[in-house]
Amino acid sequence: MPPSEQPAVEIDHVSYTYPATGFDAASSPAIQDVNFTIAQNTKLGILGPNGGGKSTLIKLILGILKPTSGTIKVFGQSPAHARQQGLIGYLPQRIGADLDWPISVQQAIALARSCRLKPWQRLSATDNAAVDHAIKLVDLQDLTDRPIGALSGGQLQRAMIARAIAGNPKLLVLDEPTVGVDIAGQQRFGKLIDTLHKELDLTVILVSHDMRAIAAVADRVACLSRSLHFHDTPQGLTPAVLAQVFAHDVAGVFGDIHIDAHLAESCDDPAHQHQHQHDCGCDHSENNGGDS
Amino acid sequence: MNEFAPAIIAALVISIMGAALSVFVVLKRLAFIGQGISHAAFGGVGIALVLGVHGATTAGAAGQLAIVVAFSIAAALWIAAISRSHRGRIDTAIGVVLSASMALGFVLFTLAESKHDHDDHGHATHGNEDQHHLIEDILFGNILDTDWSKAAITMAVAAGILLIAWFNRRRFIFWAFDEPVVDAYGLSSKRTTNTFLVLLALAVVMAMQIAGVVLAAAMLVLPGAAALNLTSKLRPVFIYSVLIGVAGAALGLLIGINADYPVGPTIVLTQSILYLVTLIIKTLAPRLRS
Repeated sequence: MPPSEQPAVEIDHVSYTYPATGFDAASSPAIQDVNFTIAQNTKLGILGPNGGGKSTLIKLILGILKPTSGTIKVFGQSPAHARQQGLIGYLPQRIGADLDWPISVQQAIALARSCRLKPWQRLSATDNAAVDHAIKLVDLQDLTDRPIGALSGGQLQRAMIARAIAGNPKLLVLDEPTVGVDIAGQQRFGKLIDTLHKELDLTVILVSHDMRAIAAVADRVACLSRSLHFHDTPQGLTPAVLAQVFAHDVAGVFGDIHIDAHLAESCDDPAHQHQHQHDCGCDHSENNGGDS
Repeated sequence: MNEFAPAIIAALVISIMGAALSVFVVLKRLAFIGQGISHAAFGGVGIALVLGVHGATTAGAAGQLAIVVAFSIAAALWIAAISRSHRGRIDTAIGVVLSASMALGFVLFTLAESKHDHDDHGHATHGNEDQHHLIEDILFGNILDTDWSKAAITMAVAAGILLIAWFNRRRFIFWAFDEPVVDAYGLSSKRTTNTFLVLLALAVVMAMQIAGVVLAAAMLVLPGAAALNLTSKLRPVFIYSVLIGVAGAALGLLIGINADYPVGPTIVLTQSILYLVTLIIKTLAPRLRS
């Protein structure tokens, strides 16, 4: 298969169960028989409730966890090998960096490349150019010498995105990146990811429990609640699918997001008519995913 | 040459090593781990004593050092393992290791003492005073007893620690700055933690020669903490830390030897005073600038 046609990620009947700890701990699968492929240059949103196995799936794709059963390939290789080669960039759910560290924005971003150097090597011109390019893409070029702890929350997230892309990855994995961010912030974030996707030919995976975050970034959606319920464009998300994923009638939970998630005229679920009527004044196309 | 030359050289080398690691210890909040390891080393000394390995000869000193180092490394890795199994409750891990090792050390010291108090025929001997002197040295350090052979061992171990730390410097910086993501960047968080803790255990055992079980960890905290009061830039923080560590050790040696004060505590005291000075500078600098 030519490299350009090779799937970015192939997940083949993967299950994972965390080892039981302590005498009274029972172990049940965090994810079960998940099976899908992600084509290159896709922006996939993985939607699911808290505790639905999203972070576990990310750790499996990153190769930090090994599947209890099934196989995962990232660009045709084992995830651990792909990660060692710098093919995967990762933005964690919470920024756990120690902001008291005496390190500049530029140095923090350059860690993505310097950590792969031999002890006696220095950053090459290519390394420095890649770091500078990443900084430029996230628009932090005026803050490179500032201590990392002096950045605002939004700037810090952009610095972490720059670090994730500074190693020239082909796959960018974003774990709940817009928790606590307002709608305008989510849309700005979506635009930034879209720019990176186009500039760097990136495949993007974003996991979130928040449908707005998914809609702002993704052009395809997978719904995960231990097992995979759905894998298609955001427009295909029906209330029935969402109710199954979240084990709840989500119309009341997500409100107008029901409208955002699929074309209003395609919805024939009587349970959501009230919601439709209520939100019909909204611009339905505005917040749709990339395919709308 | 000055009779204290080996002691002075050993103390300065140890202070350089301690200062270099202290930046990571402070920023990674491992100060209490250093304390745990140094107290755990007490158990190692107890084992060496019961086995009859003691520092009266060069071979004996090397043997005792090897046992204490092995015990301290085991304690450090045990702390890391307990900490992982308790979902990061490192204070619990240290509390367990510190108490168990100190208790073991005291039991073994008493065992070794009663062994020495009676000769092979069961007759009483006069080893008590030596034993108490030894315990005092272990608790508070006695660097002035260092001869050239002990200084050579110290320099070799300290050079090894610094070399391994330099080889792993980028890995350590990334790990200490943002441990939750290092696995995703192809570094192993567990391996990096264990590597650093092994170095820390070695460094603590070296620092124990100066400051003993009670104060060794201070030498792996104060210089880094002081340097961080002066700068928020990566390279200068390591340079300042080493300068402060060496200055504190040199001043402490000078005062301790000339005034006949216990050298280890005097070094820790001078480093503490330097820390206070940097804290004052940090507090006053913004006001002076404005």
